[in-house]
Amino acid sequence: MIISSISQGLLWGVLGLGIYLTFRILNFPDMTTEGSFPLGGAVAVTLMNAGIHPLLATIVGALAGCVAGLVTGLLYTKGKIPTLLAGILVMTSCNSIMLMVMGRANLGLLDSRTLQDLLPFAKDSNLLILGLIAVVLVIAGLIYFLYTKLGQAYIATGDNRDMAKSFGINTDRMEVMGLVISNGLIALSGALVSQQDGYADVSKGIGVIVIGLASIIIGEVLYSTGLTLLERLIAIVVGSIFYQFLITAVIALGFNTNYLKLFSALVLAICLMVPVLKNKFFKGVTLSR
Amino acid sequence: MKNKALIGTLVALGVLVAGSLVYNNMNSSQSVAQKDVVKVGILQFVTHEALDQIEQGIEDGLADAGFDGDNIVLTLLNSEADQSKIQTMSKKLVNDGNDILIGIATPAAQGLASATSDIPVVMGAISDPVGAKLVKNLEEPEANVTGTSNQVPTGQTVDLITSITPDAKTIGILYASSEDNSVSQVESFTQYAEEAGLTVVPYAVPSTNEITTTMAVMTTKVDAIWVPQDNTIASAFTTVLSAANQAKIPVYSTVDTMVKQGSLAAINQSQYDLGVETAKIAVKLLNGKEVKDVPVSVIDTGTPTLNLKAAKELGITIPDSVLKEAEIAVEVD
Repeated sequence: MIISSISQGLLWGVLGLGIYLTFRILNFPDMTTEGSFPLGGAVAVTLMNAGIHPLLATIVGALAGCVAGLVTGLLYTKGKIPTLLAGILVMTSCNSIMLMVMGRANLGLLDSRTLQDLLPFAKDSNLLILGLIAVVLVIAGLIYFLYTKLGQAYIATGDNRDMAKSFGINTDRMEVMGLVISNGLIALSGALVSQQDGYADVSKGIGVIVIGLASIIIGEVLYSTGLTLLERLIAIVVGSIFYQFLITAVIALGFNTNYLKLFSALVLAICLMVPVLKNKFFKGVTLSR
Repeated sequence: MKNKALIGTLVALGVLVAGSLVYNNMNSSQSVAQKDVVKVGILQFVTHEALDQIEQGIEDGLADAGFDGDNIVLTLLNSEADQSKIQTMSKKLVNDGNDILIGIATPAAQGLASATSDIPVVMGAISDPVGAKLVKNLEEPEANVTGTSNQVPTGQTVDLITSITPDAKTIGILYASSEDNSVSQVESFTQYAEEAGLTVVPYAVPSTNEITTTMAVMTTKVDAIWVPQDNTIASAFTTVLSAANQAKIPVYSTVDTMVKQGSLAAINQSQYDLGVETAKIAVKLLNGKEVKDVPVSVIDTGTPTLNLKAAKELGITIPDSVLKEAEIAVEVD
């Protein structure tokens, strides 16, 4: 139970990291997420059913997310469509793309080998290790990227678009790049989660943005003071694990699961209000370091 | 890395993982003793009238076989259509040490099947278990999954349409493109209808929002409409009916609730009976049968159900041969 929550947290943590790139660095509410997440799963599962190696299928799934991000980026920068709307347009169209790819609304993985089956251990440990590998690779890649010249230009674009422009940074290109990478990671998470669940479904994307935001917000609330970039990214994954713990706890404690969505919304609302509550009730007292 | 709280959390998580791995290893060697109490876990995909009836049927079916009261522990979880929760809930049901797991609706059964490869999983009324990759062989399920599969009686429906409205030559089908189950129903219906010499025009809608427009186009082109078992269309069925009634086109459906709402006729399969049938499979497994010896039970017949009020409004006379066998859902007032 604990192991399964942690490995789920790791797999969903990749989603949180993807959303962080746009939501926090660019201040960009990117609705493409709810389309690119199931799209990654749909593409990966379809390819695996066709007998493609799971690693290749997962990578192609992630690339499909990159394309979705690219379209949102182009609609926003070249088409001058507001970000929220551009994302929603792409999210909606992803539904048709998935039906086209899978040829149906739901596709299972009965005896296709999945990525976690490639590892030699027991089912539970395999998932955990797969999650760890994915998270470590993604974080290492992001850290490497964000400390390059290009990555710094990307962060500068998010911090202050006008100033970045005055330094000669092509901010449009930075934003498109951010959306491409972010949605690639989101689709990667979708591909991994679909393999864990054993199926892909066109409506798998509903509500995932809440899970991603929850990871980011819980991570921020738990460790509020002066984190380095690396610590910030790790905190998101820890936040994602904590979110899964909370959900598992609610189910395990035997609450009526019909109210699960209300409960997740409550948790998020409370986490979002923590800074305000802290100021109001604990003036001068530090909760966490 | 300087943040002590974060390092602390990571260490704590590491210890937790190591601890539970060791714990799992210690427990896995213990064999399951003969038990007086059976544990059954049910995972329902979403709260929906049809699925609720299946669930009720399962509970009653188990009770009929003597599994009620003290000798059974039933755990019912409902994912409320949130697919991200299915995995967590399936894992919980597996870890609770249930003897048998029952998944109602395709995603729930798929989630359970991926969560365990040794506890038997019973599918509750899945229309296309092979297409959904739950089982490969309906006669001899090769893994740990078996159960009931309800095929919408499309052949019987085509017969019903040709006997009630023999003049209807073009049949329009309205279904949602996001529903996996609808596609196979449409294919099967089309096959039977074409054999009977009818022309079939399928109209797929992406969501309930497009139904009004689609109906406006459809009513000008078809003589009768058939609606498969499709949750999206079911939730907007009144929209479908009002457009069809305006154009005086009969609507055939698949469940008695739709006939009560005003559709002309349907071949109805009782969801409750499907649940009872599912429970029978579960009971066989609980009594010690192996999954491979319990074939998937396919149910593909139903009872004709009529709405005589709708027939009168449409000016249709129901032939006596149909009336004899049919259940009447709505009488003429």
